[in-house]
Amino acid sequence: MTGKKAEQKEKLVDFQKIGAIIRKNFIVMTRDKARILPLIMFPVFMILIFGFTSGNAPKHITAAIISYDNSPLSEKVQQAISNSETFTVRHMVSTGGEGKKLLDKGDVKIIIEIPAALQKKIESGQSAAITVIVDESDSSVANTARQSMREIISGMSEEISLEKIIDFQNSVGIASEKLQNYNGQFLNKYSLIISKSKSAETSLEEANKKIGQQALSLENSLSNPIATVAAKTSSNEAQSVFNQTFLSEKPGYSSARGQIASLKQSSSLIISAKENIIEAGIIAEEGDKNYKSVNDYQAINDNILKPSQDIKEFSSYDPHNLHEPLSYEEKPAYGTGKRTVDFLIPNIIALVIFQGAVMGMGRAVAGEKRNGSLTRVFLTPTSNATIILGTLLFYIVFEIFRSSFLILLAMNLFHIKIEGSLLAVSLIMVVYAGVSTAIGMLLSSIVKSEEQYMAVSMLVSMPTIFLGGAFLPVQAMPKFLQSVASFLPVTYAGSALRGIMIKGFSLATISYEIFILLMFLMVTVGAVFLVYKRDIE
Amino acid sequence: MKNMIEVKSLTKKFGSFMAVNGINVQIKEGEIFGFLGPNGAGKTTTISMLTTLLKPTSGTALIDGYDCIKDAAQVRSMIGVVPQTFSLFPELTAEENLWYIGKLYGMKDFSIKEKTSSLLKTVVLSEHAKRISGAFSGGMKQRLSVAASLMSSPRILFMDEPTTGLDPQSRVALRELTQQLNKSGITIFYTTHDMEEADKLCDRIAIMDKGAIIALGTSDEIKRKLEDHNSIEIELEEVSNFILSELKKLPFVASVENSGRIINLKVKNTSNVFFKLSDFFSARKQKVVEIKIKEPSLEDVFIHLTKKELRE
Repeated sequence: MTGKKAEQKEKLVDFQKIGAIIRKNFIVMTRDKARILPLIMFPVFMILIFGFTSGNAPKHITAAIISYDNSPLSEKVQQAISNSETFTVRHMVSTGGEGKKLLDKGDVKIIIEIPAALQKKIESGQSAAITVIVDESDSSVANTARQSMREIISGMSEEISLEKIIDFQNSVGIASEKLQNYNGQFLNKYSLIISKSKSAETSLEEANKKIGQQALSLENSLSNPIATVAAKTSSNEAQSVFNQTFLSEKPGYSSARGQIASLKQSSSLIISAKENIIEAGIIAEEGDKNYKSVNDYQAINDNILKPSQDIKEFSSYDPHNLHEPLSYEEKPAYGTGKRTVDFLIPNIIALVIFQGAVMGMGRAVAGEKRNGSLTRVFLTPTSNATIILGTLLFYIVFEIFRSSFLILLAMNLFHIKIEGSLLAVSLIMVVYAGVSTAIGMLLSSIVKSEEQYMAVSMLVSMPTIFLGGAFLPVQAMPKFLQSVASFLPVTYAGSALRGIMIKGFSLATISYEIFILLMFLMVTVGAVFLVYKRDIE
Repeated sequence: MKNMIEVKSLTKKFGSFMAVNGINVQIKEGEIFGFLGPNGAGKTTTISMLTTLLKPTSGTALIDGYDCIKDAAQVRSMIGVVPQTFSLFPELTAEENLWYIGKLYGMKDFSIKEKTSSLLKTVVLSEHAKRISGAFSGGMKQRLSVAASLMSSPRILFMDEPTTGLDPQSRVALRELTQQLNKSGITIFYTTHDMEEADKLCDRIAIMDKGAIIALGTSDEIKRKLEDHNSIEIELEEVSNFILSELKKLPFVASVENSGRIINLKVKNTSNVFFKLSDFFSARKQKVVEIKIKEPSLEDVFIHLTKKELRE
């Protein structure tokens, strides 16, 4: 019974009360300015940064070109790189050493090496490689640079092989046209010879016929005396008659006989001459052919040599080279086998130090201000410098301890190797922890409560997280965000730590970063001394 | 007796707001000086200036002859402050808190140890020396706070509303502690809202309002300011309009108010008033239950002087 009573009193879901709760929360939220600021800023910032970053490949990646070849092809490659949106060619250098220096300084993110005798090699059907050295520090930049270079090179490659094929086609076309030409010329000349020798043959034949007829009529004119002789004579008588007749007729007969014999002789000579002429015609024909071919050989040779050489050369090419005359080759910039995690760790350390220091300062200064314990400290004869330095030093030591732990963890879990000296790493961490702590202290000195501190510290911690390069490629961002990044100490600390840990740089090589960080330290600590007031309101 | 604190034309402006408006006050060595005033009167601002936490806009404040601005470090080494809020490190134990404060006063470890144990005894926290101070009750925290402010053996102790928010037992304990410290020679500058407490505890009292000191003197001296407005409370068995109007006609009566059977009279002077009133009522056959002459309390004076209305 009592249970039922309680249920009546207290509804399971009371919409009126829910309304009241909602309304109250709304009022509370709108009055808490310190909470509204980050609530609005956070999404705006996120949208800005991710909107500008994702989907946008990094653009204007700084590049250096080393060209060992002065050919038009080399120029064409360089032009293609300059024209690409991805790259901004900042330097043209002549040695690999110079290029490496630029890469070390972070002046360029990629070095593109055009090999010697590039055009010669390509023209002779060999393949040539364009060597690329990429700074891995920013994996997204590195990947974009790689992909873009691959595209440029394969585009050029395609163009070159297309040109070659067109050349080849031209050569084959010319050769085949010329061969066809010669082929026709020979046929013409041959038929002319044939027809001429035929007509010669015919005229000889006719001449022969006429001689035959003359010989025959001569023979016929001589047959009468012989027949008379034959009719009048019997065998003996005949013989004597014949002998008489013949003998009487003998001088004329024998001369005719002589004529006939000579005619017959000349006819057979003509026949044999005709045969000889035919033979000569054939020989002449052949000779002409041979002669012509010998005569034209030089011209033929001259005309067909070039295309045939082209064709020969072309067919001797390695078809793979023909397919890809230009290839992409990559040399690791530093050591070998560096992975993304190697490049991430320095940035993460830089981020951890900053966040730790800024958050810690919220507690240390703003928090102590709020709970009054700082007032108690102010009441003692203790100078501002003592309070500031004591607080700074603790957080510097604490942050170094924390980052060392992180490094140890990374070394053991991910087998990170630190190429440079640990001492240099520690030095950077000390300076950077000092800068971070001073920034935290500066902010907490100007705010009145921890809540306000959280809101204000977001102004620096958000850009540091997202523009620090640990998560998002800064180069993919618009110019104004990039210039924001150049005002963040994390940019320099990350670059210095990457230099030492990955590239094995000495402190001298990263003197620029150290200088900037020291400037930051001086300015921020100086500002803390100026802003840190004992006045309690 | 010499002046321990000398304040001359002390002024503090926050923007256009005049928090403290040229106050003058001298506090003698060995005094318990009560500093009273409604919320927002400028008490904490004044204390902050006297304890070197806040720079005055103009005027001077000398602590035992040392200027609060020019000789801030010297002043800090002579004073102890018990702030309104706990203002110690709640993560530290009672002992550790005192060690830290001792260190900031430049004390050596062995003297810190000695001082800590004697102070913890004084504030009755010896048993809790090694407990985390954040877990202390309000009264314990405030006693630890007093101990912390005594670490430097100050000659002046500023106590800013130390009893606010404490239960009656803790209030009494803290008040007794204050008296005990005063007896040991410490001059005490004591801020409170509690008039009764000020009345009992303080040798002299200043009442501050709207940035200015409007009354200064002993409790009695201040109360005398209201003497012209002494009031008499009369309880009758029955109150009629006739009686009220008759009372108003009396020459020594300034005003008449009633609620139920109780009548409040403000009289111009109290001489023989008791007898005059007895005669008045017996003549009119009124049965009187009680006639009381009400001495003005410090609270009456306070309310009267600060004009009653609620500000803030």
